[in-house]
Amino acid sequence: MHKMRRASGCWSILFLRRWAPYMLALAPLLFVVVMLVAPTLRLVWEGIWGQDLAMGLSEEAGTGPAGNAWSIVLDPDLRWRMGWSLMQATATCLLALVLGVPLAWVLARWQFTGRELVLRLLMLPFVVPTLVAALGVLALWGPRGWLGAPLAAAGFELEETPWMLLYGNLFFNLCLLVRAGVQALEQVSSTRLAAARTLGATAWRAFWRIEWPVMVPWLASSLCLVFLYCFSGFGLALVLGGQRYATVEVEIYRLVAHELALAQASRLALWTMGLNTLAALAYAWVEQRLASPAHVTPLPRRQVTSLTQRCVLATVLLVLFMVSGAPLLAIVLRALLALANTNSMALLLNEETLSALQNTLVFSTLALCFSSLLGVLHALALHASEIAGWRKVAARTASFLPFAVSPVMMAFGLLLLYPQWSASLPVLLGAYALLAYPFVATALTAALDQLPASYTQAAATLGARPWRVFWRVTLPLISPALRRGASFAAATALGEFAVSLFLSRPEWTTLTTLIHQHLGRPGASHLDAAMLLSALLMLLTLGCFILIETHDRSVS
Amino acid sequence: MQRRFFSFSMALLALSGVLSALGASAQQQVTLRVMTHNSFSLPKETLAQFEKKAGVKLQIVKGGSAGEMLNKLILTRNQPIADVVYGIDNTLLPRAQAAGIIDPYLGPAARRKAAAPMDDKADANGVSAGVVPVNYGYVTFNIDKAWFARQGLSLPASLQDLTRPAYNRLVVVQHPATSSAGQAFLLATISGLGEDAAFDWWARMRANGVKVAQGWSDAYYKDFSKNGGTRPIVVSYATSPAAEVFYSKEKIHTPPTANLFLTGAVFRQVEGVALLKGADPTAREAAMAFIEFMRSPAVQHDLQTSMWMYPAEAQAKRVDALQQHAQEPATFNSLPGTALHANARRWLHRWNTVVLK
Amino acid sequence: MLELRNIIKHFGPPQAAPLLIGISMAVPPGETTALLGASGSGKSTLLKIVAGIEQPDSGSVWFNGQDISLLPPEQRHFALMFQDFALFPHLNVQDNVAFGLIEKGLPKADARMQARAMLERFGLGNHALARTWTLSGGEQQRVALARALITQPRALLLDEPFSALDAALRERMRDEFKWHIAQAGMTAILVTHDETEARTMASHGWLLQNGRLSRRW
Repeated sequence: MHKMRRASGCWSILFLRRWAPYMLALAPLLFVVVMLVAPTLRLVWEGIWGQDLAMGLSEEAGTGPAGNAWSIVLDPDLRWRMGWSLMQATATCLLALVLGVPLAWVLARWQFTGRELVLRLLMLPFVVPTLVAALGVLALWGPRGWLGAPLAAAGFELEETPWMLLYGNLFFNLCLLVRAGVQALEQVSSTRLAAARTLGATAWRAFWRIEWPVMVPWLASSLCLVFLYCFSGFGLALVLGGQRYATVEVEIYRLVAHELALAQASRLALWTMGLNTLAALAYAWVEQRLASPAHVTPLPRRQVTSLTQRCVLATVLLVLFMVSGAPLLAIVLRALLALANTNSMALLLNEETLSALQNTLVFSTLALCFSSLLGVLHALALHASEIAGWRKVAARTASFLPFAVSPVMMAFGLLLLYPQWSASLPVLLGAYALLAYPFVATALTAALDQLPASYTQAAATLGARPWRVFWRVTLPLISPALRRGASFAAATALGEFAVSLFLSRPEWTTLTTLIHQHLGRPGASHLDAAMLLSALLMLLTLGCFILIETHDRSVS
Repeated sequence: MQRRFFSFSMALLALSGVLSALGASAQQQVTLRVMTHNSFSLPKETLAQFEKKAGVKLQIVKGGSAGEMLNKLILTRNQPIADVVYGIDNTLLPRAQAAGIIDPYLGPAARRKAAAPMDDKADANGVSAGVVPVNYGYVTFNIDKAWFARQGLSLPASLQDLTRPAYNRLVVVQHPATSSAGQAFLLATISGLGEDAAFDWWARMRANGVKVAQGWSDAYYKDFSKNGGTRPIVVSYATSPAAEVFYSKEKIHTPPTANLFLTGAVFRQVEGVALLKGADPTAREAAMAFIEFMRSPAVQHDLQTSMWMYPAEAQAKRVDALQQHAQEPATFNSLPGTALHANARRWLHRWNTVVLK
Repeated sequence: MLELRNIIKHFGPPQAAPLLIGISMAVPPGETTALLGASGSGKSTLLKIVAGIEQPDSGSVWFNGQDISLLPPEQRHFALMFQDFALFPHLNVQDNVAFGLIEKGLPKADARMQARAMLERFGLGNHALARTWTLSGGEQQRVALARALITQPRALLLDEPFSALDAALRERMRDEFKWHIAQAGMTAILVTHDETEARTMASHGWLLQNGRLSRRW
């Protein structure tokens, strides 16, 4: 009897152990289904069968799904919008490639003082909120900008041109490409290069035949990401695109917020989602073909000595600074000026700003906690389930789903699906968490993969139950990755804009929506107020960046 | 490090929680949420007086342009974000009505005659679909007198004149999708010339170099020649010349700008206030008091110089500035509500194609 | 007395190729039994099955007349030693050794004292507060043994413990471990591919070949 009870107790334990991965995955999965999959499906439905009632576009009434989907292609405005969105994304890719490859080569091959710092700072644009970046470009090149004002006086108005948007795109994406390039170049085997040189290849030929082929897959993968970010970008295009050069996402927002043309917006969203998915699949495919980092002896870096080298270095660093550093500096300078200006200070020292600051902090913290929890569960579930092969890849790609469905479309889908909750706090926070948690999940998944299985096995044989193993061994060892992922998540939540615009109520104005409000009101003081708030937001995200980049020495 | 990080965020959360709790407990009185467009403006003292009299705290929510504001209300109608809305005008009324967000008001203000009715379907007192008119204005051309005197050019006498080469690149209008003034002007041309003739006129204006600005402020403060721009003819309000006198630094007696009332180019805009369906029941009394407040003599007087509109209250006295420098036009254009509702999107679409693409 | 009865394990799903075919063996108490085999023969898997980290497709594990097949690893009280030492990098040497004691419920201070004493016996007393990665390979494996033995396990399972060490060190460690294990009177299973090592340390030896077990000595 005693033996039987013992056995059944063991059975339940083993049963639990077997199904633990699925139980762990339940919460994140449910969350993703409710907050992402369902709204996306609803959006798709609306795009195919929706009709704009009571809005007066009589020629659209009565067309079926095919007609609806095709109406986007037929409408010249929307065709232009779609075409321009693709064009600006492609143009950014090309510009990033042309500027980024030389930059990457210099950073990878030459040694100079401050090289480490530059490499670290390459990550900075990634955490800067899109609205801050947009204001940075405005502060630098806008009609009242540090460089833009003299240009405007000379007759070159940059305001209704596509260049500001492309500049803003480059701000974020150049660094991405440079990082990929540097990582790629470190994979080039020095022995192979030496062999090529001894066989008679010049430096240039050696580059083309040995280094470039190694770089291509890395660059291709990051170009896919660049394309995705540019095509589905919202904040930048809203502020810098103007009437003519805004992207599809902005058009969707305008159709919903200004014209209430939900059905037409859904149709547009459908097309955009399709293109996004193609880009995401291309990215996943290229990532697959990327060779896992082999242990090659990298080429040793050469110290910069000659004058030509110094000049080239200076140019390259200048370009990097102008693209990714100057806008931030411009905001800071403008903000400092604005501090001295009583008008803008008067605009800011009120309840509205304080409440926006409070909202931003509270929402971000809540979203951070929630997304950390989800990320931990997701990573643990993925790790514990011993799926392999294509299923594993699929599960990993799935954690990037929020990127394929852009924030604007997710918010729009939520609006369509849960109209009675469209302006409710849980949905808003849920959307924040959904956008932030992939960072935690992917960081933790990578860390768990690297954790030797023997550690947890040793802990188990030493008498620790699974929860204790997690608490005493796994968690401390993955906590650097958790911190890293959480800092990215925090930066994402702090800078979140699109969802707040769609789903928020006036009493939940955050810093980002407040900045947007100030931008919408005419007058220099409002612009200055927006700059000040951007500087504040930038400081907060800088804090996150510092948390990401400080190395934890206690764990090797 | 990890512990510190977590405890820091917990502390932050706790602090915010305490702050909000404190904030919430401090507000024991009822809050009346008023949704308005960005151009809403009344003197602080007047608003404070209302708060004291009604015993409520006013929370004014500026929701963007009038169209954006209405859209926000429609999107959140299941859980309204305000209790009373000001700024629904005659062009937006059909949309508001169709969306069913208005709770009709039947109080004293609705039973007094208004100087301007909300739309053609309004009752004898000007109230339509439960929206009570508060003020009205005219969208029309303003011209820079100094510029015309300098150039020696005669003023255009009709809309067709503006398409002549003499007036090439002299006009700035606003985009009807993003500016209520722009939309009003477009509707005026359609009403005055008939739809096809109107769009034909727009096509010729495009060829004649008409500039399209995003909003009224851009057009008036940047593109209007009086303020440093290049265009001496701008779509603005009939009260703008009076405002120029009012706000001028030196004491002047004649405005530097003037109204140009052309047939087919004057649109009357009537703005009203209304209760919202599904609003907070505890704020209902305060909301009704707010409507009365908007039609009270104090506000009807103040809004003339704070928002530069004519008062809807038939007996309201006009302030000097308006009386002297802002005559109302003899005729104006308007459109029946049903036509507006059915065609608004299509006209906008067509305008986009004709003028911008 | 540790017994394996008819353990069958496949390379994945049951339809795949078999790894272990009907393994049955008895491990005499208080003595070291060696399990020899080439790499990939499944000996590590067999050891993990004994430890409870992996489950066999069929068959059972018995200890002292009780079927422990369904017991989770933390309840079996078998200590497992690894090729890569598996010392926890976030804990110092002393806390590593004290790990199992804390899991048993001992207060931290007592556990640390006992750990220190154990380390003294291994000649590693002055490394008590050091970080694990500052120790040499041999020292790390000794710490792992100390960590395992301090919990007084019912059996000690050693999975190729010296493969990561160089040849000269291996010989020294062999003798040392043999002495410690004999001192503790421990039942041990040693998995290795080195026959000399097996013969030096173990009194009984088995060979795992093509999924089947055969007696060597």
